[in-house]
Amino acid sequence: MPDSTNPSNPGKKVSCMEMLQHILDGDATAEQQQHFKDHLDECMPCFKTYNLEVALKTLIKTKCNGNGAPQELIERIKSQISQNMPR
Amino acid sequence: MEEEIRQNYSEEEKLKVFHDEFMPHINSMYNFAYRLTFDEDDANDLVQDTYLKAFRFIESFEKGTNAKAWLFRILKNSFINDYRKKSKEPAKIDYQEVETYYNSDEVDRQITPDLRVETLQDMIGDEISNALNALDVDFRTVIILSDLEGFKYEEMAKILDIPIGTVRSRLHRARNLLKEKLSEYAKQMGYKNS
Repeated sequence: MPDSTNPSNPGKKVSCMEMLQHILDGDATAEQQQHFKDHLDECMPCFKTYNLEVALKTLIKTKCNGNGAPQELIERIKSQISQNMPR
Repeated sequence: MEEEIRQNYSEEEKLKVFHDEFMPHINSMYNFAYRLTFDEDDANDLVQDTYLKAFRFIESFEKGTNAKAWLFRILKNSFINDYRKKSKEPAKIDYQEVETYYNSDEVDRQITPDLRVETLQDMIGDEISNALNALDVDFRTVIILSDLEGFKYEEMAKILDIPIGTVRSRLHRARNLLKEKLSEYAKQMGYKNS
């Protein structure tokens, strides 16, 4: 990555993979995002890896959500809380 | 952790905080509990314990702040203290060692460059969920917190009681393991060059 410095270790250049992770997880500054966007235009391996990571993150979000908490559990918690309250 | 300031809630306010700020996260909490224990009864107990604990300590929660992170932290601590001991999880591996290794230049190694977006998108069954479940619990946890629940590194560090650098390296390692697992599935599905 051109001119990108590591905030936790100034002077050390942030690697592409590290930068990619920051971007992916919404942890990058606007400046870092712009750098990365420019970099993707000229680096095929980063472009492919980035697209794969985005696809995977999206799939995890849609495929691993579960079916929600059982209604009995919700009712049980609510009733235990109301029983714990002084009348 | 920052110093706790005790809130002074009336009984009515306690109930309001509980219902308005804690209960909306119950589905996420149950999914997390289930993916930690792989058992419906244990997941039910873990979530119930967490909510009762959250209510008992509600005065250390400042209303309007990050209830979800607070609840996840309680659940994760309950899991470690009460459930992990009796579960069949294998002994914890030495992450210090793993993380030192993955903080080295090795971090830039391109792992499973053969896995393709199209292959992933063809996985319309339970492959993604099964691959996630197959990861060791600490790796599984960071993926759930980040990719599924959208927690930021700083929130994850607080939930898990680990430094931010460790969150990042563990997440990086977890994603590579997940891709390796999915690459195996892709081969089984018959993708020659997955």
